[in-house]
Amino acid sequence: MTSESVEQTSGEQPDAPEKPENSLLTDPDVQMRLARLDGQLQVILPKVKKRSAQDDWLEMWQQLTHRLNSGERFWKPGELIHVLAQDQLLDSRQLQEIAEALKSADLNIERVYASRRQTAVTAAAAGYSVEQQSPNIAPIFPTVNEDENCESPLYLKSTQRSGIEVRHPGTVIVLGDVNPGSKIVAAKDVLVFGRLRGIAHAGANGDRVCIIAALQMEATQLRIADTLARVPEHPSGQYEPEIAHIAPQGIQIAQANYFFKFHCFDAEANAWVTTNPKSLTNY
Amino acid sequence: MSRIIVITSGKGGVGKSTVTANLGTAIAQRGHQVALVDADFGLRNLDLLLGLENRVVYTAIEAIAGECRLEQALVKDKRQPGLVLLPAAQNRSKETVNPAQMRQLVSQLSQNYEYILIDCPAGIEMGFRNAIAPAQEAIVVTTPEVAAVRDADRAVGLLEANNIRIVNLVINRIKPEMVQMNDMMSVEDVLEILAVPLLGIIPDDERVIVASNRGEPLVLDEKLSLPAIAFNNIARRLEGDKVPFLDLMAAHNNLLNRIRRFFRS
Repeated sequence: MTSESVEQTSGEQPDAPEKPENSLLTDPDVQMRLARLDGQLQVILPKVKKRSAQDDWLEMWQQLTHRLNSGERFWKPGELIHVLAQDQLLDSRQLQEIAEALKSADLNIERVYASRRQTAVTAAAAGYSVEQQSPNIAPIFPTVNEDENCESPLYLKSTQRSGIEVRHPGTVIVLGDVNPGSKIVAAKDVLVFGRLRGIAHAGANGDRVCIIAALQMEATQLRIADTLARVPEHPSGQYEPEIAHIAPQGIQIAQANYFFKFHCFDAEANAWVTTNPKSLTNY
Repeated sequence: MSRIIVITSGKGGVGKSTVTANLGTAIAQRGHQVALVDADFGLRNLDLLLGLENRVVYTAIEAIAGECRLEQALVKDKRQPGLVLLPAAQNRSKETVNPAQMRQLVSQLSQNYEYILIDCPAGIEMGFRNAIAPAQEAIVVTTPEVAAVRDADRAVGLLEANNIRIVNLVINRIKPEMVQMNDMMSVEDVLEILAVPLLGIIPDDERVIVASNRGEPLVLDEKLSLPAIAFNNIARRLEGDKVPFLDLMAAHNNLLNRIRRFFRS
């Protein structure tokens, strides 16, 4: 084992590293979420953005089916689920499509929480038990739960195809390939058991300890916290498991099998440093 | 029980309509009742490829609106007794139809036809959603180009999200000599990204263009060309036959090319 193979310089930093838009890239209100709060399974719809309703609905519906199909099944068949519609305006057809999507994953809607009166009326007409929340009062259910909820990792057991964008306020683990054109944004680590060829963003809320690991690192772009790098092209075409991390010089890629043995996170440098460079050469 | 298959690609110009026309004709030749549905409202061209343009009286829009009976809108193929085409309107936009209407239309067709092939428009907007709504399975057409494969990947993802689980791949317009010289993505490269079962490989051939312009699907030629054989094989594979893939590379793996490759590497 040579020292050279351990530290591979990543693509050079662009002159002015493009800062991620804001510190809340994984704001839980931005994407549809499936979560269990106090034992109750919930699907939490995103808050309304200033976008066309049609686009929003389609995107939301795609997120829902994607999570239901490729996410880890952490529920019992036939379990009852609560729908937190937030301030979304849903018509009866959309509500029915949500119910059908949940049904195909063996979930039945028990109750709908909505802050829009019209959505609440639609849900009541469809025969669900409804709770209307005033939009001005803080939601009954904490949508941001910093400790437990956000840290549970998201398992995705399928190929992430072009156009898929996954945002998660914790670690994302993909069992499959991440294809070019797709994007994984995680508040913690991104672990890919397959080929990473899309865009991965770890520590999206600014956590520089976070890493991106992949069995085959061919990402279009790597982002950790607020730094950004391109992956060098492997001329040999030989790949091994690698870990991208923030070193004092910027994002670096190291062989995965020795990474944690010889690297540690240095709080002062605010980056990963090699603990004992000599040991690398002796290995 | 009829099979409802949507032919889609994401990217435009990769040969969806050509595949639909030839595949439909090939299946009809094998003695099945086939209906082709042109879902490209506003930009119809399946009737041109089949040479049926001058026989179109009513279109799918009129059938949906109830201005005519569905049977009146169906155009019978002039050569294949088992083949009909439901043409799209030329003058309307894709927003005039909704997925529920498409489902209803196709379910009416499915009473009389064993195979229903839906020719999907390019893109992933309303037209795409209309076209895939009635389908049970899909054939994704791509060419061995990075952009086409990227769009095909997106299309496969959307098909999966819409619960269409049977997705097969047709790689169109492959140039064996370019693949041989490593100038073009190979079948393996495409499959590695898309990871869906391969249904067929169609070589690039000028005769496909000639046939399209004449409105005579290639598979009707008396002396079958290589792409026509490829279309016939796809039809057989759809029925469950195990047909080996054409070895397109063999003819190009000659001494001269090997020497060329040697010097390039």
